[in-house]
Amino acid sequence: MNVEQRTPGVPVGGFPGRWEPRAVVAPPREGPAPLSSEPPLLLFEQVSKWYGPVLALNQITLELTGGITGLVGANGAGKSTLLRMANGQIQPTMGRVTIRGVDAWDWRARRLVGYCPDVDAFYEDLSGRRFVWTMARLCGYTRREATRRTQAVLERVGMATRADRKLRGYSKGMRQRIKLAQALLHDPELLILDEPLSGIDPIGRQELLELFQSLAAQGKCLLISSHELEALEKLTNHVVIMARGRIAAVGTLPQIRDLLDDYPLSVRIDVAQPRQVARLLLHLPEVLAVDVSPPLPHETSETLVVKATHPQRFYQQFGHLVVEHGLNIRRFEPLDESAHAILGYLLGGSGKT
Amino acid sequence: MTSEVADTVCAPTPAERPSVLRAFAVLVVQSFQRHWRVRQMGWVSLGLLALIVFWVSVVTERNGWNLAERRVRRNTGTYQQEAVRLLPPQRYAAATGDEEFVTPPRPYEIPNPFNPTEEAFRSLMLSIPYAVLQSEQFLYTWSFMTYSRWVIHLVFLGFALPLFTLSYASAAFGTDRESRSLIWIMTRPIPRSGIYLAKFLGTLPWCLLFAMGGFVAIGWAGGPPGREALSHYWPAALTATVAFASLFHLVGAIFRRPVVVGLVYVFFFEAVVAALPGSLKLLSLTFYVRSLMYNEAAEAGYPVELLPAMTEAVSSTTAWSVLVLVMVGINLLGMWLFSRLEYRDDG
Repeated sequence: MNVEQRTPGVPVGGFPGRWEPRAVVAPPREGPAPLSSEPPLLLFEQVSKWYGPVLALNQITLELTGGITGLVGANGAGKSTLLRMANGQIQPTMGRVTIRGVDAWDWRARRLVGYCPDVDAFYEDLSGRRFVWTMARLCGYTRREATRRTQAVLERVGMATRADRKLRGYSKGMRQRIKLAQALLHDPELLILDEPLSGIDPIGRQELLELFQSLAAQGKCLLISSHELEALEKLTNHVVIMARGRIAAVGTLPQIRDLLDDYPLSVRIDVAQPRQVARLLLHLPEVLAVDVSPPLPHETSETLVVKATHPQRFYQQFGHLVVEHGLNIRRFEPLDESAHAILGYLLGGSGKT
Repeated sequence: MTSEVADTVCAPTPAERPSVLRAFAVLVVQSFQRHWRVRQMGWVSLGLLALIVFWVSVVTERNGWNLAERRVRRNTGTYQQEAVRLLPPQRYAAATGDEEFVTPPRPYEIPNPFNPTEEAFRSLMLSIPYAVLQSEQFLYTWSFMTYSRWVIHLVFLGFALPLFTLSYASAAFGTDRESRSLIWIMTRPIPRSGIYLAKFLGTLPWCLLFAMGGFVAIGWAGGPPGREALSHYWPAALTATVAFASLFHLVGAIFRRPVVVGLVYVFFFEAVVAALPGSLKLLSLTFYVRSLMYNEAAEAGYPVELLPAMTEAVSSTTAWSVLVLVMVGINLLGMWLFSRLEYRDDG
């Protein structure tokens, strides 16, 4: 189990005609269960945070034990507040945040956490290497150990050969890598990354995604906030979706999509005999409607667009149908199972964050 | 990019465990190094120091601390000239019109040779200023007290020292908050109270360098009375520097605009409150520092009555106790507050 919202969120009453977030809680992800004797790596217990009259976080309960978790939501949803709280930079007004049982505000908890902030401010007069080395020294390492760790993390983020230039001359991507390097210095169990892919070119992005995956493979827990949903989808399909200070949904994207009963799944199917297949599909209890669309450019036959509830069950039954009737399916494409589409359903609008 | 070597290198080894004390010491050094570059307020302070040193040098060069060389009033002669003018030969010369003086003789200065007793007594009385001005001890004492009053108490303690300390102490956190780079320190595994203390210890040498360096420069520019003031007042100046540095470090940790708050404090609180009669001045730091200097001058045998604002000075024991308590208390308060404050400058 990687992520769990222990208590479902309560639907929020709102203004007429205005969408309010609701909690969609997917069943726990399969995987090795944590040792019962060990406290969770990151645990939010009924956490609320007020900034004056503004409620930034509302009764958040969340547990992370490993793997990669994406944190998505619109601007002002409370993502940064949640990340800073997990990193011990701010305290909850109510509730408790712990890292392996240690209060996140306690300095000892920071030994377990590596934080890559969104802020792009450095000691600009230092070189990248000197900056990372200073951060290592401030972790309490000896000069020799700091040098060794600095070299290791710079190699790790692909900056070993470019780290001797002044930070003020770095590109956005290089600065992101240096931020990541300093977060990795003390080999933390939990990595909190706030917009780590921002400003990175496609090749660099792919390298960083591979790095994140390798870190997760080593058993590290990564909590990544990002607006780059496509990149996040490549990295993990396990997400925490935040809206207006609440956790709107937790789980894998298909799991969350499966629970969105109000929004039927749309699937495009290219098949040899579309009208016969449409008749068959309409017999399935999950199928609400089937549209026969005219052929797309460069296509010869018509296309089916199916609206169905309970996506997982629909997929199973459609599979049986294909085998039973020997259907020749040329293309099968869910149209609204992407993170964008799910966010759109959950948050309203286009789902853009 | 990902290397297996790097994976293994990051694994902690028992012999190389991180030490929080080492991190604290590194932060002290890092904080010191971050102040290496003189910033805007530093240049303002240096400019102010240059102005003060220039002014003191000019006054010293003109023998301005010496009573004999000072003018009694505008458009009159110096005290020395006035004293000479009151001697019998000059009075008789003025009365007979043999000699012209800047100031016409007053009625009681006009000699009366027809009443020898009265004239003898008058000549005796009017010769006292001249006799006094012949005493080098008196002239030096007067120079020292004049220098103490105007240069040390008013200019140095009144705004130079607070500005020197403000320019560096408030920047310990202020610079990091302004550049939004405080996050890098706040994410290190160091107790927050330790971060506060380390920043203070890293900044203090700069405050001492500027304030005490300025004190020495002003003292040397003041000639013999300035150098004697250095020898008598340096413990009080040192204590004042640490006390103000503690205060402005706290201001820097709490306020987003520490320089503005500090300037308001220096020019409105310290300048006004310390000069008020009654017990309100007990809230002013400079009052205790001035008391220390006052007592030091009194112990050295100087006529401290020449420092009119300090007639209600507290004893040295009280002043030391208060200043030490303030230094320790402000730092403890700062450590306590800092360990509870949230900084959202990175957002």
